[in-house]
Amino acid sequence: MFPETAQRLKTAAPLFSHAAFLTDLKRLSAHGGARRHLTVGRCLTAKVPPPRKPRERVEIPGLEMVTYGERMHYVPGLAKPAPQHWERDYKDPRYYKSPPAHEMRLYKDKPCYMFNQRTSALEGVRQAAWLTKTQVIPGLPAQLLSLAENPENQIPDQDERVQNAIKHARFWDTTEDRPRKEKYSNTLLLNLLHLCATLQCSHPALGRRMLAENYSLATTWKRGEDLLQIRGQNGLLLNSTDPLPQMSGKQEVADTADHVLDAFYPVSPTIDLQKVHVYKEEVNHTGFRDDYPYPHAHTLYFLESADPRCKLRPEQFRTKMIMFTFGNALARAHKLYGTRPQRLLDRPVTVQSVGTNGRIFQFMVFQLNTTDLSGDDGIKNQMWLEEDVELYDFAKVRPLIKKKQVKIPAGLAGYKPEAFSKFLALYLHGAV
Amino acid sequence: MALSCLTRALRSLTLSQPALVSSQAAAWSKLGAQVPSSAVIQCRGFLTTASLEQNRVRWKQREKYTIRPIGMKKTGGRDHTGRIRTHGIGGGHKQRYRWVDFHRLRYEANREGQPFEEKVVEVRYDPCRSADIALVAGGERKRWIIATENMQAGDIIKTSGVIGRMAVSANEGDAYPLGALPVGTLVNNLELRPGKGSEYIRAAGTSGVLLRKVNGTAIVQLPSKQQVQVLETCMVTVGRISNVDHNKRIIGKAGRNRWLGIRPSSGLWQRKGGWAGRKIKPLPPMKVYINLPSVSAS
Repeated sequence: MFPETAQRLKTAAPLFSHAAFLTDLKRLSAHGGARRHLTVGRCLTAKVPPPRKPRERVEIPGLEMVTYGERMHYVPGLAKPAPQHWERDYKDPRYYKSPPAHEMRLYKDKPCYMFNQRTSALEGVRQAAWLTKTQVIPGLPAQLLSLAENPENQIPDQDERVQNAIKHARFWDTTEDRPRKEKYSNTLLLNLLHLCATLQCSHPALGRRMLAENYSLATTWKRGEDLLQIRGQNGLLLNSTDPLPQMSGKQEVADTADHVLDAFYPVSPTIDLQKVHVYKEEVNHTGFRDDYPYPHAHTLYFLESADPRCKLRPEQFRTKMIMFTFGNALARAHKLYGTRPQRLLDRPVTVQSVGTNGRIFQFMVFQLNTTDLSGDDGIKNQMWLEEDVELYDFAKVRPLIKKKQVKIPAGLAGYKPEAFSKFLALYLHGAV
Repeated sequence: MALSCLTRALRSLTLSQPALVSSQAAAWSKLGAQVPSSAVIQCRGFLTTASLEQNRVRWKQREKYTIRPIGMKKTGGRDHTGRIRTHGIGGGHKQRYRWVDFHRLRYEANREGQPFEEKVVEVRYDPCRSADIALVAGGERKRWIIATENMQAGDIIKTSGVIGRMAVSANEGDAYPLGALPVGTLVNNLELRPGKGSEYIRAAGTSGVLLRKVNGTAIVQLPSKQQVQVLETCMVTVGRISNVDHNKRIIGKAGRNRWLGIRPSSGLWQRKGGWAGRKIKPLPPMKVYINLPSVSAS
């Protein structure tokens, strides 16, 4: 027991926590029989001190220091031998130190700017538009809005069922007073998706869809002199067997060549992107294998509270939506048409996305017209963005009472049906 | 440290196996005083208070610049010995330190030597100083600087290290070397030695005045009316520092002072000596921060 205790203490010593320390103390003292109590008058839960830098050794050429290294014991007057670097001759994963960046196998001199799911871009939608060479069109396209208004595409008792879904997510889905934001936004999204999917009886094409989560996306493209990459696990993806139809006609696509991208001097468009020198070149991976039966990305669903460590402001959240939608579209285009930049795709790739924080929705349709993104001129991609669509005003557990008057009643208040109709339109697009 | 010496001395009294103790001693000598010494089993119990190495300055040892606020440890006016060196400091609201970049002329990695512009993203309150700070973004980096009086989000500020023949008509918030500015401009964030970083005129509402430029040097009047002669390549920002009404604020109650971390002064009445009272004396001589070649050497 002693050697293993010693080893455990040695390895655990720098990382002692108070509780672990006390349990060790109890075990050790209990083993010996008579319990001796040792208390220390100092803090037991301090931070681990950083390794102290050794004193600088001065090397004088021509003067050789006489060390006590050969004698194997300390001799006063002789110098301390320089520490010899020792390496294990076998590979032990517990004691592996990764090499510095410039010695890694994938090190490159040219840096690559990575966008991942925790990036918070400073300039927001303008920066995303510049990086993806996109023309931003506010408002959803007319075809989708007309799809929403068509009475055939509506669920029976739509308003009531949506309100029930909101109430379930916001009030009923917990044993505590109120569910937390991460929980209710997730529940609400899944409830709304379930409601949309009930239309499968009347729209059989909805059966050729599949939801996927936690898939890793990777795309590379060049923008001017810089190499850009998108990596990460973005959110919920609705895949389908058939691609989405084109949103804008050939004439509109050709007209985007006249659009000038918004530059934001003096800030560089690659600000806030992670600059790495160790990366794999030319990674293009949709996240699924080649024989996956639902290869076309249909809609991406983003939750603001998916990552608890990373809180994004609304503008930055929209940027993340745009970048990942673009990443999915570009990965698909690279698979279909190859990685060489194409000035105009024969069939533009369309991907939709919806982002929500539980109450406010952002809808977006992205159409990838070109993969030739290095220059600033030429045909641009197109994006229709509808920001800040509220589904309801308030969903309060306790009413807000000011001066003995009820300002906001308890329960669901201010339900707006347009948000769900747009949600349904985006869901049904391509299957109607 | 003291504890480990004591326990080593008391080792003869313990009944533990020597192998364990020597291995632990080897571990102790490596780790220094941080090792919990009660890993020695069956030791006679006693209380000790070793002099602790306070991790007081550990939060400052960060090499990489960051705009994220850093958690701070308050000193309470105590120095490294643990005694009060400055009275009247202690308590107050918790503060996080925003690392302000006082080297205004700090070029980015690839763009040395060229004047550059930056955009002000946000101007906000800083709990650690009287002035407000501004988050500026330029190129691929963001940094905090001391905000000047009329700085707002969206402004573009220029930093240049070039001294031209003609004086530049400077806008507020821009940073130029002293030699490039016209005489009489209000300046702040003064560097005494070029490249050292600004150390003077940083408090809220303060500004210095560029008095005259004398072959290669410039003379600036500080807010205390003291005059200072520095090299003309020292960087300086134009304008007054933000939060101009800082000296007009009324604390209002003792509690607000305690929130600011100011403890009450000693209530003991002490006879005031020659240091107290109004003094009328001539200005001290101008301080020269240039290493002029001595006349006797020629």
